[in-house]
Amino acid sequence: MERAQCKALIEAILFLKEEPVKAEQLAKFLESSPDEVRTLVKELQEELASQQRGLRIFEIAGGYQMGSAPELAPYIEKALGEKESDSLSPAALETLAIIAYKQPLTRVEIEAVRGVRCEHVLDQLLKRKLICVCGRKEGPGRPLLYKTTPDFLKFFGLKSLEELPPLEQ
Amino acid sequence: MTQQAACTIKLPVFEGPFDLLYHLVKKAEIDIWSVSIAAITEQYLAYLKSMQELNLDIASEFLVMAATLLRLKSKMLLPRPPRHGEEEEEDDEALFQINSPEELFERLEEYRRFKEAAGYLGRLAEEQQKIYLRSTGKKLVVIPKKEVQQSYYTYWEGAQLLGEIMNRIEAAAAARSLPPVIELLEDLPVNERSAYICRLLEQRGPVLPFNAFLKRKGIWELLVTLVSLLELARLRKVILLQERHFGPILVRLAKENDHGTRTVQGAN
Repeated sequence: MERAQCKALIEAILFLKEEPVKAEQLAKFLESSPDEVRTLVKELQEELASQQRGLRIFEIAGGYQMGSAPELAPYIEKALGEKESDSLSPAALETLAIIAYKQPLTRVEIEAVRGVRCEHVLDQLLKRKLICVCGRKEGPGRPLLYKTTPDFLKFFGLKSLEELPPLEQ
Repeated sequence: MTQQAACTIKLPVFEGPFDLLYHLVKKAEIDIWSVSIAAITEQYLAYLKSMQELNLDIASEFLVMAATLLRLKSKMLLPRPPRHGEEEEEDDEALFQINSPEELFERLEEYRRFKEAAGYLGRLAEEQQKIYLRSTGKKLVVIPKKEVQQSYYTYWEGAQLLGEIMNRIEAAAAARSLPPVIELLEDLPVNERSAYICRLLEQRGPVLPFNAFLKRKGIWELLVTLVSLLELARLRKVILLQERHFGPILVRLAKENDHGTRTVQGAN
């Protein structure tokens, strides 16, 4: 396949897919290497930005996904209505931050940092699939362990957990 | 009521005792490590008091922290001679096992770090809120080829998938120019079939087995016949009989004196 055609195909796939697509997956469709895909996507991203187009390609949860340009948000909101995903409460953000940095960990360990009971917040986060149970801690009572999910990365637009800045000392 | 509403003071909402303590420390603009326990305890209690005056519900955690602070303060005021045996008191409340100001400050420091991280996440979420990701609201259903992955469809995804399959069946039916199922049912030639059943019973009656009405072997004819017989039975034009369990279904025309009797025994 020609280079230009490859790029067009990546654009088309990312336009149609509603989930992040990994470079490896795209490489399979194109019969090329993930590195080549990454180069092509980078070019696409630059083209979209420099031509002030309405779409952008974002790197989310280890893959690529297309979305609208952030600067268009106020107008898109008028056209399509506000995004449905309601924002998280400060309590939920605090709890998520603790889980994100210290995972996997138990409820009691989260509560020790926050100084407040967290059952309710944890339930909400589980329901929104931002966190999940990933096993039990060995020891008395074998409490559940929690960790963040790919949806967590998607919600915050993170490529991976490594992208989180180190905790300030 | 109105008076109360008129003088409402907006208090910041604190996520927990650490949040409040952190706020107090920050307000005093001092380094966490140089806070005096006495001063912070006083401020903390003053805040709880104002919460009480405003009739706010005070979560038990805030009170536990107040007790913890008072204990720390009293410990510092009255240095006790070390007791024999158990030096550290047992604390049942797992939330705050804080026995020295240093521990308190360490915990506050840790809380501060995560609070800042939460702030960072909040800003990220806000940025993300500006991006509308591709979504048609209707998921593309991709049927995996051979390598079936471990399925973890949720209940609703399962239901959605089922709906999609139904759509596909309809689409397939339409492609082969077959009317969809619902219309097929409406087109059942029940009237014709009913007339045929009655005619046959009059000619060859009085009692005929169910299969006597089937000329060809086909699901379609079976279906129409079954529906017609049920309809005739409902209209009390025929009586459906079965002499024993799992025996053949027999059909005979209803007589005048059958009315009102739902079960009729004996085939002749």
